[in-house]
Amino acid sequence: MIKPPDNAVILTQELRKDYELGAETVHARQGVDIQIDQNDFVAIMGPSGSGKSTLLNLIGCLDTPTAGQYWLSGQEVSQLDDNELARIRNQRIGFIFQTFNLLPRTTELHNVELPLIYAGVSAKERHARAKETLDAVGLADRMHHHPNELSGGERQRVAIARALVNKPSLVLADEPTGNLDSHTSQEIMDILVKLHENGETILLVTHERDIAAYSDRLITLRDGKVETDERHEIGEPIA
Amino acid sequence: MNVFDAIVLALRQVWAQKLKSFFTLLGVIVGVTFLISVIAVVEGMNRYVQEDFAGSIFGINTITIERIYSRRGGREDDRTRRRQARNPDIQVADAELLRQKVPDIWYMAQSNDRFMPEVRSGQNKRNNVRLIGVTDEYFALQGWDIVEGRGLTRIDDLRAIRTAVIGDAIAKKLYPDDSPIGRDIRLGPFRYRVVGVLERQGGLIGNIRDASVVIPWGAYQADFARERDVVENIQIKFRTSEAMAAGQAAAEEILRARHRLRPGQENDFDIETASEILNAWNTIKNVLLAAGPGLVAVALVVGGIVIMNIMLMSVLERTREIGVRKALGARRLDITRQFLAESATLSCVGATVGMVVGILLARLVDMLTPLPATVPIWSIVLGVALGLLVGLVFGVYPAVRAARLEPIVALRYE
Ligand SMILES: Nc1ncnc2c1ncn2[C@@H]1O[C@H](COP(=O)(O)OP(=O)(O)OP(=O)(O)O)[C@@H](O)[C@H]1O
Ligand SMILES: [Mg+2]
Repeated sequence: MIKPPDNAVILTQELRKDYELGAETVHARQGVDIQIDQNDFVAIMGPSGSGKSTLLNLIGCLDTPTAGQYWLSGQEVSQLDDNELARIRNQRIGFIFQTFNLLPRTTELHNVELPLIYAGVSAKERHARAKETLDAVGLADRMHHHPNELSGGERQRVAIARALVNKPSLVLADEPTGNLDSHTSQEIMDILVKLHENGETILLVTHERDIAAYSDRLITLRDGKVETDERHEIGEPIA
Repeated sequence: MNVFDAIVLALRQVWAQKLKSFFTLLGVIVGVTFLISVIAVVEGMNRYVQEDFAGSIFGINTITIERIYSRRGGREDDRTRRRQARNPDIQVADAELLRQKVPDIWYMAQSNDRFMPEVRSGQNKRNNVRLIGVTDEYFALQGWDIVEGRGLTRIDDLRAIRTAVIGDAIAKKLYPDDSPIGRDIRLGPFRYRVVGVLERQGGLIGNIRDASVVIPWGAYQADFARERDVVENIQIKFRTSEAMAAGQAAAEEILRARHRLRPGQENDFDIETASEILNAWNTIKNVLLAAGPGLVAVALVVGGIVIMNIMLMSVLERTREIGVRKALGARRLDITRQFLAESATLSCVGATVGMVVGILLARLVDMLTPLPATVPIWSIVLGVALGLLVGLVFGVYPAVRAARLEPIVALRYE
């Protein structure tokens, strides 16, 4: 039994995810071992279907592995039950999606409040914290708008606020700029960079090299396996 | 997810799609409408029968003897009617015998009545009047109070004096400005002196009393009787229902003996008690109360199934939303609660609409029919509680299905 090092936010061992498609088994993740440390800013790249999203979902406790082990901040999560996983998603992980995934019929403010609602925070404190977080992403003045009244960049900023409102120890972003133009992508990345500077641990899936360049570590995947895993200087162009 | 948010969300959805919501909730609406209105009618009927009908016409602990069953709302079949047509008249002598032999009589009165096209006094007249010739205990037996003047006495009766007690409507019509006491009215060719005015009854059946002219038995016999010494109606009132039961048995026996009926032969007269009317009503009521819950239950179950379907569709449509909520930390319980609150809200809206329609229906019955329908509070509480129950019960399955969704599966759902 491995005991993860103290500074490892994430440690996986032989983590696998198989999908049964009829008779065929798709090995979306084939025995992956990774360690991600406190305040890493990791970009994950790889061809489509290489298992980037699958890895991120496993790390984010949205999905359960077929085999292998996974420690999140020293805690073995592959054994946890449904409610405990929900609690981890709520308290420790902030998810940012490519398609934003905001609830359409409610206001920005309510969207940002959701994690706090599930955390059982009182309405008053919820309000204050959601406002504060929206303020941090520069959207405090529009908090009563509905998502369909916002631009893509603004929506993603709301989604980031929602991911951050519960002060998670890990931010997971699956192609957060995939639906945005380069200028808005820049704005989103600026927010992530600032988060990183403030000590946040971030995993970012992307197809774009110049987005990956904001990170300080690049992992590439191929066919469900880690191909390369290298640290680099922030802003250094990626070959 | 807080329950309040779920309720607001559900209400918004109901409002956004009013027509669809209406059809969704039709079952619950019909169920609760039916519940409220049936209870209202049963309660109303109950009161009507017990307070007005039984109390005023037949009186409590009173038996009524007639040649044939003549009351309104007769429920006898053709055979009985044909048989009764051969019944012999009841004679004054029969009444005398009953008075002597029936035990524990409190009041006893005989009366004949007829329709009078008009009653006049000077220039004033009132059309369509019921003229009743009664013996003196009639007023006490019926519980009719005299508000002005006096009632009819034994002396009036025996001497066949032409005196009259008139109903409120007639008094107002003939003497709009002054007292009718001591004035003469014309009944056909005869002059009768008004000695009293009956207390106004108003209400459902009061117009019969209010449009009546009551005169002494003797005078009626002399001036209006179709056949002498024939009694159309005998009423005997007892102090207790036990006395009434005994009295009824005795009266029946006496009349059967007088009419020389053999054992096994049917009565050739009609003898009824208010409690028989009550029994008849109780039977009807029991049928209503027995069939009612079944119908209500069927409507509510159908309504519940429709709601369940709608909720299943809603879960499907909002699979992604459920995925997002789970990704943000919603537990199964949170999701279950959200959808339960939604289905319960939905069916409560249905129950509320049903309640309003039911109350309106009861009002309508109250206004358009002689039944005083009343909506008891408990029926409203019951209706809303049942609505809530239906929403909760039929919401469980969709809610649990929503809660069981794997977060990643829900998030990837297109
Ligand atoms: N629910 C599923 N059922 C079956 N196969 C799946 C499922 N989810 C993912 N896969 C398969 O697993 C493999 C990895 O998928 P994944 O979504 O992780 O790829 P990806 O690297 O994120 O690709 P992309 O860059 O297109 O987002 C793919 O071959 C995919 O077809
Ligand atoms: Mg992907």
